[in-house]
Amino acid sequence: MSAHSTSLPSLVIVGNGMVAGRLLDELLERQNRDGAKHYEITVIGAEPHGSYNRIMLSSVLAKDTSVKAIVQKDHDWYQSKGIRFISGSPVTAIEREAKWVETACGQRVSYDELVLATGSRAARIPAENLDLNNIFLFRTIADTEGMMQVAAGASSAVVVGGGLLGLEAAYGLAKFGIKVTLVHRSGWLLNRQLDKQAGAMLKTVMQDMGIEFCLGDEIASFREQNGSVCGARLKSGRELRAELAVVATGITPNAELGLEHGLNGQRAIDVDDFMQSSAANISALGECIEHRGATFGLVDPLWRQAETLAARLVNRELVPFENQAIATKLKVSGVQVFSAGQVQEQAGQRAVVIEDKQARIYRKLIIDQGRIVGVVLFGDVRSGAHYFDLMQAGKNVSADLPQLIFGQEFAESPGDKELAA
Amino acid sequence: MSSLIAKSGTHHTTCPYCGVGCGVSAEVKDNVLVGVKGRTDHPANEGRLCVKGSALHETLDSDNRLLKPQIEGRETGWDEALDHIAERWKAIVDKHGPDSVAFYLSGQLLTEDYYVANKLLKGFVGTSNIDTNSRLCMASAVVAHKRAFGSDAVPASYEDLEQTDVLLMVGSNAAYAHPIVYQRIVKAKKERNFKVIVLDPRRTASCDIADIHLPLAPGSDAFFFNGLLSYLAANNKLDTDYIAKHCDGFEAALEAAQTQVPDLKSAAEVCELEQEQLAKVYELFADNERVITLFSQGINQSSSGVDKGNAIINCHLATGKIGKPGAAPFSITGQPNAMGGREVGGLANQFAAHMGFTPDAIERVEKFWNAANISKKEGLKAVDMFQAVNDGKIKAIWIMATNPVVSMPEANKVKEALEKCELVVVSDCMANTDTAATANVLLPATSWSEKHGTVTNSERCISLQKGFMQPAGMARHDWDIMCDFARRLGFGDAFNYQHQVEIFREHAELSGLDNNDTRAFNISALADISLDDYENFAPRRWPLTANKPEGTLRLFEDGQFFTPNKRAQFIPINARLPKLKAQTGQLVMNTGRIRDQWHTMTRTGKASRLLAHTEEPYVQVHPKDAELFNIKEGGLVELENQNSRYLGRALISDDQRRGEAFVPMHWNKVYASHGRADALVNAITDPICGQPEFKHSPVKTKAYPAAWQGYLLSSFEVTPKSDYWAKMTLDAGFNYAIADSRGVANWAEWLNELYPQIEDWISLEDSDGHFVRHAGFRGGVLSVALLIDKNKQALPNMQWLSSMLGKEISLQDRFTVLAGSPADDSQSPGAIICSCYQVGENQIRAAIAEGADSVEKLGALLKCGTNCGSCVPELGAIVDDELAALAVEAS
Repeated sequence: MSAHSTSLPSLVIVGNGMVAGRLLDELLERQNRDGAKHYEITVIGAEPHGSYNRIMLSSVLAKDTSVKAIVQKDHDWYQSKGIRFISGSPVTAIEREAKWVETACGQRVSYDELVLATGSRAARIPAENLDLNNIFLFRTIADTEGMMQVAAGASSAVVVGGGLLGLEAAYGLAKFGIKVTLVHRSGWLLNRQLDKQAGAMLKTVMQDMGIEFCLGDEIASFREQNGSVCGARLKSGRELRAELAVVATGITPNAELGLEHGLNGQRAIDVDDFMQSSAANISALGECIEHRGATFGLVDPLWRQAETLAARLVNRELVPFENQAIATKLKVSGVQVFSAGQVQEQAGQRAVVIEDKQARIYRKLIIDQGRIVGVVLFGDVRSGAHYFDLMQAGKNVSADLPQLIFGQEFAESPGDKELAA
Repeated sequence: MSSLIAKSGTHHTTCPYCGVGCGVSAEVKDNVLVGVKGRTDHPANEGRLCVKGSALHETLDSDNRLLKPQIEGRETGWDEALDHIAERWKAIVDKHGPDSVAFYLSGQLLTEDYYVANKLLKGFVGTSNIDTNSRLCMASAVVAHKRAFGSDAVPASYEDLEQTDVLLMVGSNAAYAHPIVYQRIVKAKKERNFKVIVLDPRRTASCDIADIHLPLAPGSDAFFFNGLLSYLAANNKLDTDYIAKHCDGFEAALEAAQTQVPDLKSAAEVCELEQEQLAKVYELFADNERVITLFSQGINQSSSGVDKGNAIINCHLATGKIGKPGAAPFSITGQPNAMGGREVGGLANQFAAHMGFTPDAIERVEKFWNAANISKKEGLKAVDMFQAVNDGKIKAIWIMATNPVVSMPEANKVKEALEKCELVVVSDCMANTDTAATANVLLPATSWSEKHGTVTNSERCISLQKGFMQPAGMARHDWDIMCDFARRLGFGDAFNYQHQVEIFREHAELSGLDNNDTRAFNISALADISLDDYENFAPRRWPLTANKPEGTLRLFEDGQFFTPNKRAQFIPINARLPKLKAQTGQLVMNTGRIRDQWHTMTRTGKASRLLAHTEEPYVQVHPKDAELFNIKEGGLVELENQNSRYLGRALISDDQRRGEAFVPMHWNKVYASHGRADALVNAITDPICGQPEFKHSPVKTKAYPAAWQGYLLSSFEVTPKSDYWAKMTLDAGFNYAIADSRGVANWAEWLNELYPQIEDWISLEDSDGHFVRHAGFRGGVLSVALLIDKNKQALPNMQWLSSMLGKEISLQDRFTVLAGSPADDSQSPGAIICSCYQVGENQIRAAIAEGADSVEKLGALLKCGTNCGSCVPELGAIVDDELAALAVEAS
């Protein structure tokens, strides 16, 4: 157990993912603003790297960027900021009475304030032989590097999951020149972000990249050869060859550390509007939490959680975190997707739809009582942010249709058509 | 004739549109007409041209030109076509007599064409069943002239219009119908500041220069002039000396006027005018020596048009305001050669060369023509002629250069009559006219720029309409076609003309034959005109006699008229209002011209800029009537009469009198689904001259209950499957305004049926059905665009989209054509730099200019670069670039 050399309170952050990185930025910014340190900070991460941009792993796989370029905070950074950084070893225990945590290596760190930012891991699927070699759960730099290494010598791959990450993985692997088949349980791709028409358009676009699809199907089992995967059998009975498999069907919160040590929560750690857990002096944020029934998988709300928590820890300010609708995008070169709010209109709602099959452009606004409640843009996502703002503001857009759907730059007032006399 | 055709150079010719008869200089390069200009040495226009004339070179393309003879839709050669006609024609005449055949001609024909037609029918076939569309515009004035002057002669010239002190424009919207004469008036009024008074139920464009506009009750004009005659007598404003020396019948005319309209009060009442205004106008007429009454279709197209003309002339005779500079009753003609037809006598109730059916004249002409079968009695005038076709009495009719299925009253009946007629021959330059659709035999005639011969305008001025282009396809001149036909009938000797000048000389000779100043029309000075003089014809006004070889500016200067006793005749007028009155649910439909179209649009409809002024048929109504009938501006109005419907765009304006609706006369089946206004006109005619009452038709009126309205832009000519459509010509296709009272369940199917050749479609659909938009592409080129809305006001102006038709549009951007307008780039975020937050370059640069001079500040302001961060390098580059630019600006 290490002792403090100063009388400042100690803040220990468990986890070193993107939200932890952002929390550090928020803390340091407040420290700079006040011209005084408020905490002695310790960060404990399971991975060996400093905080890196996990979102960009797809781009690393697609060779659009490198591992080096996505590491935002290397070891030197922590040192230069006076932050103690313990890497490569997860925390395995919390002693709430005595206020210390212990890592897998047995190292104990005392805290006055503890922050759990343990994130999430890829969800597992109920397929036989999921633990064979060369089956990856696409989550970390290590996963990515492993995938790239195998892909370089492979001729076929299976990707499971037609969500954002699965599509990005398929795209990235296809760039290695191997035959990629994507298996997805739903009838169309990105079924949580797109409707059937847009999903079908996305499929044709990705087919043009050489990716094959098995929709409405699931993996029953992986086939093994010398301890490694060599293929998969689908529930439909179809057999696929694969020297590499990637599972990207969603995430599971890494809530066990908190829950096993007495924090409230079911599938994740419950927090209030200020990122406070059920225990005094323990806060949590990011993908390991549940806030008002919601868990998190996209980065945007995490930034605001970091702000809320930093404000409370440093300034004792209570700025409630509000979970807002967010827009999603896909990082597949040449494919533009924008989606927010509802995907499918319901009875009594109005849908205004542009479709260009040849250009593979699809735009849909779902309107309820004159207000946008859903945006699905495919192929041309211009004005997505504008629609998003209008949706958030609850503005009545009835009078702006149909011009609005073409984009904000087309929203001239119509009706200037005069009958010549 | 090929000697006439020059490859390049400037050719002096005459405009083929209205009766002003402007001289045109046509610029030809490599056998293409590249431009037209007003001819400065022509007395009618002195260098000016109106918008229709200026677009002449834009209407000469070969689209829809009739290029080959056709028998029952089958293309053939000239010999077979003419043999076919001659054989049937002869058989019909042999069996049913000469009155079972007819010619229906046009004021668009040249004098030489007219002359040959008249000679052939009246002298050789032996019938006077030859009438013309001039019946529809000038018949009333012709008879009024003949009754008063003993001859169909317009007393004055355009110069008089510029020299007058008071100009009464009666039933004339010269601003639209005779633009160049109107411009001359405008210019002269500016210089001399004389008074202009417009008598018209409508406030027309011509009222722009009016000192007084009298919106008199429709058709009450003769009451106005009877009232004026009473006023002149009551106020001692008569020229008793002139009446005594040069006129007959004054007392009876005055008595008739005084009985009917004794004073100002009664005149004001019947004409529905303010007494004070009326008095002012009467006073102006009475107190000025130089007064011109310029009258046109508002007078002529009436069931009492002849009387109206004479009521006007009476007032001028009673005050001696005739035959003097700036003083005359002045009938202005509609067509380029209505006057030429009248000179020839190419009408059923005229004989030849200003001669009637008198024994002397018949004998004279019979001898002159060496006629085989001279006709000795009047024939059937237009309305009766088509009635006779309908009744089966006329079994063969040859229609030249006109479109009676559009222009005749009860035009649907005319169409039916022609459809059941045994032999319908149509000679025209256009293939797709409504009338051509009824023809058994179609003959391609030469058009303006190819035709060669003379025309006479409203001021008796003869000019040459010159042929300077090769005839299109197998087209031939009308006179030449008829001569060939005459030879087949066995009359070759009398029709052996080799050149137009030979016909003209014969025509000129006949005009002088035994004339001795008994007939106003006399151009005997030209009876020996040389070919060279003819080909370079110097425009001159008739009479052109040995005494006056240079022509005659003004007639009746000596008080001598062409009646047997040389005295002008007053005609007692019992003024009559139009025959029919509007009942409940009806408005009185008044028809007329619009500025940029000519007649039935077969030529002017091709020039997109001419259609741009007024794109659709319309119905102009007074705001109170709009309220009464629940008509909304921009909505559609449905008129109905004679089992015919007219659909037009509502124009609500207090230019219109209450109780009336103005509709343009031009639209037809080629340009609109229900645009043939004349189909709703009752075949009520003037009992004397047979001219129909086009200006006054009570019609059932209602707001059209459109379920949707919209536009169909199309590279291809189609017939939209909608109750209402109106076609507008574009440079690269057509724009159809469309509407229907019934909904369309599936627009994609609607389009697929219309355009089976197009497979590449884009669409905008609204589940609530407020709007729908589709566009079709062929090879990446925008070929079709459909924009539909429940509310027409919500549709974009089609100008921009029209300009995109026929253009290749990039795949990525083409969905935006459905917006119907270009992007307003000032509203655009610009190229997206931050994908996560959709922040564009324009926004970023604007933020930098506002002071966000670092990536961090941009992120704080716009959120850009704060999510995945992959755009941060790009953001940095934009910051550096923008700061550098700002520094340059500052230095």
